[in-house]
Amino acid sequence: MNMAYREKIAWLELAGQVVAYGGFFAAVIVAERMGGVSLLLFIGLFAAASVIRMLIEGVGRFVIAARSGADARVPADERDRAIARRGAAIAYYVLMAGMILVGLVMPFTASGMKIVSAALLGLVLAELVRCSIIVSSYRRGWHG
Amino acid sequence: MAERRLTNHIRTLRFHAGEMTQAELGERIGVTRQTVAAIEQGKYSPTLETAFRIADVFEVTLDKVFRWSEG
Repeated sequence: MNMAYREKIAWLELAGQVVAYGGFFAAVIVAERMGGVSLLLFIGLFAAASVIRMLIEGVGRFVIAARSGADARVPADERDRAIARRGAAIAYYVLMAGMILVGLVMPFTASGMKIVSAALLGLVLAELVRCSIIVSSYRRGWHG
Repeated sequence: MAERRLTNHIRTLRFHAGEMTQAELGERIGVTRQTVAAIEQGKYSPTLETAFRIADVFEVTLDKVFRWSEG
């Protein structure tokens, strides 16, 4: 597959987030059903998820850069920048919707831990949308 | 109104330029090899500046490289 370097990086970021934060939210849900999530457990799980993500992305970027050769050193061109802008622009709306929900609606209906979880979910969803838009724009084409 | 799309003759022009590679063309116009491939496949429409750069490389006018044709 003739994949652009930045498309490979977007796939890597997508995979890192799905694995790390998918695991994090699954663990939070399980802990919640087993009697509640303490602040210490929540922070510990989030720290573990962040370390896993950093490891996946760190090792992945090293491997991709090594296998891509000169492609990894070439600066982003106009197509890369147009696709990155599209991803960020669409993810912005997801982030705004999440923040409106968390900041303006949930304080009247939910507890502190649920608000924090929802805020993190909003951030992760926005990042997932950004990476997904980038990947699909490279695969299916994007005319800027 | 009939749907129109941008088509191009870059593959043919590269062939007539001594089988110039996508990487070589990309280097000369300042984009990656994958972006040249995307332009050739109609998956990306280049900026006007890049379009003129492509035409410059092959020493032809813009309409010899790109066509605005009915889909």
